[in-house]
Amino acid sequence: MSPTELKRSRVQLHADHVSNVSSMDFPGTVTTGDGDDDLSWSLDRFKQSFDINITSLDPMTLTFDMINVDASIANAFRRIMISEIPTLAIERVYVAENTGVMQDEVLAHRLGLIPIRADARLFEYFDPASQTATDLNTVVLNIDARCERNPAAPDDTVDPYQKYTHFAVTSADMTWVPQGFQAEAFAVNPIEPVTRDILITKLRPGQAVKCELHCQKGIGKSHAKWSPVATASYRLLPEITLLQPIVGAAETEAFRKCFPEGVIGVAKNADGEPEAYVKNPRLDTMSREVLRHPQFADKVRLTRVRNHFLYTVESTGIYDPHVIVAQAADVLIEKCKAMRKALVEVTQLGVEV
Amino acid sequence: MSNVNAPPSWELFHIPDGMKKISMVKDTKIPNAATFTFLKEDHTLANILRMALLRDPKVLFAGYKVPHPLEHDFVLKIQTTLDTTPIEVLRNATRALLQEIMDIKLKFENEILMYGSRQLYRTSVDIAF
Repeated sequence: MSPTELKRSRVQLHADHVSNVSSMDFPGTVTTGDGDDDLSWSLDRFKQSFDINITSLDPMTLTFDMINVDASIANAFRRIMISEIPTLAIERVYVAENTGVMQDEVLAHRLGLIPIRADARLFEYFDPASQTATDLNTVVLNIDARCERNPAAPDDTVDPYQKYTHFAVTSADMTWVPQGFQAEAFAVNPIEPVTRDILITKLRPGQAVKCELHCQKGIGKSHAKWSPVATASYRLLPEITLLQPIVGAAETEAFRKCFPEGVIGVAKNADGEPEAYVKNPRLDTMSREVLRHPQFADKVRLTRVRNHFLYTVESTGIYDPHVIVAQAADVLIEKCKAMRKALVEVTQLGVEV
Repeated sequence: MSNVNAPPSWELFHIPDGMKKISMVKDTKIPNAATFTFLKEDHTLANILRMALLRDPKVLFAGYKVPHPLEHDFVLKIQTTLDTTPIEVLRNATRALLQEIMDIKLKFENEILMYGSRQLYRTSVDIAF
């Protein structure tokens, strides 16, 4: 790899600093000299180079590689997944009875953070001006939990779960009260908390929690409870280049130990001696431990591929993780369209250009 | 909510009546330069716009800032070569962005489908043997 290419496409890690951090893929920044310094953008060129690889997908977590995009696009996806995809969350709690130890506002806050499985695309935003709740903008859940002594409990037990009925109020106690169109639209996928074992509060005999919960549509920007992801993050692909061979049993073992398990492998070379090779750079944490050892510092180069993003998207369970990424793309597309519309208005108003 | 002093949540995305999403002020000192103010947008859009503008060889300068952390607006400054205008390059940049993101979405959905069918194939092979 030529020094220019290295500078252009890799973030370099040194013992005490990181260099070549920002992207230079813009016209006028690099002259490679081989006539290939046209860095202006074209859709065809983008389509050729851009790539996505799914590395794992299960109902809660998705990991994938996004290759050959600018960091700003990668970051826009991450930001939108966290804060701009609408979901439903409990926004209002009407407390009829709460005699437990937990105060109303703490209870309401805890309830708000419980993920509710409902497709927010079928709902409208609550209109703050009119303050009218309809079946299109509000989902109603009920909690009615009363703790009593359990007459069937064995005399010698000290376990409160046996001694009392309804000792713990959990998300399983939330029951959905369909309004208007909802009963029919959600007949197959009834609205409910994502998991039934979320502890809300604990009660003693004679205490009760009775309240009506109103869920509204919102985005993570205004409150984190509306965020559809537990985490959405990316990192750059680590790359380890061996500049000189690392040979010999003791050397290779010391070298292997500088990295997390599985990053470096050891194999017999042509001379029958053990030689280190890079097995799986993805597993590396880029700890730079290897650069602390003088015998290795000049033999290895640690870099990260600047346009290769490894995403991890962990859903809260409201949507499948790949739906979250697709929705993030939709939100971004809508943003661009809204901007194009607004740009037309800027000129239409007759501003001199 | 009337007894708390938190700003209303819709302040993050609601554009006040009579205001426009994008406004432009032409620079009086620098040729072919203008400053755009985008209301109720943040780094998400600002940074991809800056990037899309810098990819255009006709753009001499493009940069953005968020003037105040409590106001959900950003300003974008653009200077171009003499054969075009800031608003023209901005329009081109948004079109390029739109194409790029649509392509990303298409590719992503394709990959998800392919991953699903690969998994299905694998399970069916497992069952067969």
